[in-house]
Amino acid sequence: MIRLLSRTTPVIVQGITGRMGSSHAALMRAYGTNIVGGTSSRTDCREVAGVPVFADCAEAVLTTGAVASVVMTSPGETFAAVQDALAAGIKLVVTVAEGIPLHDAIKIGRAARRAEAQWVGGATPGLAVPGECKLGYLPDVCLHPGPLAIMSKSGTLSYEIGLRLVREGLGQSIWIGVGGDLVKGVRFADLLPVFMDDPRTAGIILVGEVGGSEEEELAAAFERLGCWKPLYALLAGRAAKEGVSMGHAGALVHGETGTLASKTHRLGQAGAQVFSSIDALVNACVRRHRPLRR
Amino acid sequence: MMLIEADGKALLRAAGIAVPPSVWASAELPPALPGSGPWIVKAQVPVGGRGRAGGVVRCASAGAVGIATQRLLSARLKGHAIEACLIEQVVEGQERYLAIMVDAVGYGLRVIYSAQGGTEIGQAGGAEERLCAPHAGAVAEVLADLIAGEAEPIRGRIAAVGHALARMLLRHELALAEINPLFVSDAGCVAGDAKVVIDLNAVGRQPEIAALITARPDCYRDANRKLAEAFDYVEIDPDGEIGLVSTGAGLSMMLVDELTARGAKPLNFCDVRSGELRGNPARLIRVLHWISACPSVKAVLVNIFAGLTDLDEFAGLLVTAFGQCPGLTVPVVARLVGRGAAEAKQILHAARPGMLVTEDLQEALACVDRIVNST
Repeated sequence: MIRLLSRTTPVIVQGITGRMGSSHAALMRAYGTNIVGGTSSRTDCREVAGVPVFADCAEAVLTTGAVASVVMTSPGETFAAVQDALAAGIKLVVTVAEGIPLHDAIKIGRAARRAEAQWVGGATPGLAVPGECKLGYLPDVCLHPGPLAIMSKSGTLSYEIGLRLVREGLGQSIWIGVGGDLVKGVRFADLLPVFMDDPRTAGIILVGEVGGSEEEELAAAFERLGCWKPLYALLAGRAAKEGVSMGHAGALVHGETGTLASKTHRLGQAGAQVFSSIDALVNACVRRHRPLRR
Repeated sequence: MMLIEADGKALLRAAGIAVPPSVWASAELPPALPGSGPWIVKAQVPVGGRGRAGGVVRCASAGAVGIATQRLLSARLKGHAIEACLIEQVVEGQERYLAIMVDAVGYGLRVIYSAQGGTEIGQAGGAEERLCAPHAGAVAEVLADLIAGEAEPIRGRIAAVGHALARMLLRHELALAEINPLFVSDAGCVAGDAKVVIDLNAVGRQPEIAALITARPDCYRDANRKLAEAFDYVEIDPDGEIGLVSTGAGLSMMLVDELTARGAKPLNFCDVRSGELRGNPARLIRVLHWISACPSVKAVLVNIFAGLTDLDEFAGLLVTAFGQCPGLTVPVVARLVGRGAAEAKQILHAARPGMLVTEDLQEALACVDRIVNST
């Protein structure tokens, strides 16, 4: 589903009458995303951001043919919203809420897997195919079509990289925030085959951080797939305090689990270029991928 | 977030799993020690590998307990001040390893067991593991397979501990519940240690976990801040020289890393979540108060890359916060990128003439370096 996203993909926004839902539905439309409607429990509001508001996803899908949804509800309401989307046949669900309880996330993951749908999030700014569409709130100023695919646990750190690339004349093919939670939807390793098969993508940027094992899984997948596209990795959390979540629920080191040393070692071993500063990563991308200027 | 051992053991005890007799020692030594010794003194900080890091001391006499406790209480371990120690009577028995954790890839639970417990289990790779559905019945089934080689009555006792541990993890929505070592003997099973990782996102519906955290403001300073304020502020170095007001977990972590790599000493990690301020300067006031309360701080760096935030509104709130923090006397440098950056610069310059406000992170970092090195 992710690899097929374009400006024609019909998308709904769940929680569209809320503060975030209404403003970001309008911003996504303005970017070019084909927002075809939204859902809300409010009965007094039939239109928001120029699109119709439905009582639930079943009605929205039946009327609009939507195949993707951006869930803009509170963390505690996210599981129910995803269940509603999956029951209606939605095949890509992006949940932006930060703070989804861990055991709710397990239930969401199991439900999405049963429904053979893709789940992106939580705690993510969403994803984008620059120049085509965005699902979520990646800042427009950072988005520009180009040869680099980005996958990131962090929103803000990826914004920083995206903006610097744009200022250097480089853009992105696909940009996916996998989110900062421990239990989530698509993971780094799931995205590698998507990026490898994508003809627009010439290089892959990984924005990782301490906690969990996603970076190590990606390293194993990179080796297994015999990847020929360069992988540039930036890892945050060198100075993280053990036993304490560093902002993201998943950014937790305890004992030997989730350490930066393990991630750096495995990615380097697999053939990735691992950087410890934003400048170093951007400079490497510029050297390899910036089009020659006349 | 990881619990200290004493609180992990409180959960184990409540779940029906035996733990050794113990006493708590913080500022003062306890009047009596449990049992007749020998004893073990353990630093109560939420980190793994305390034994290898020098945070666990075996003592043969009451005098040695006093010396070890006093020494630990004046030390730091893996970035944490040791606020308290747990003193336990040493338990004898064969050692096993038992853990249940959330499996992020399989959307289930991972049950890990080893017939050889001990501090090196994480690296030895001698443990076997099974993935199962997130139900106590499924855990019991895979654990039965893992402990099939144990003889009765030990097998039955370990199965009972595993069942209690699974129910505890599910009831409290934990990420990890580990017992290492689990002592097994003719007298039964006793948990020698407890490593429990809780989910701060579920604390709102887990009153027992919330009570553990709020009962120990010194041990869980960062978590208590997060629960009270709904944003993240983690003290990195109590003698830090640069106070950080920043947003976004990843970028804020990277900022701490880059400062540290330059030889600078950041005081804190901060993800103030500027997109959630909604016209209220309270979070900024709190952060500036905490920073200005540290005498070692020589400069404050504000770093906001705004995805959701209107920077002109943010700048107005920051100026209000400056006004509410008269104790903030050190220079402030701001790096702001996003909607309204130009207006934000004007607002901040009007309030604090001469303050550097830039879109360039490297320029901001260089300015902070100059301030710190010149004072």
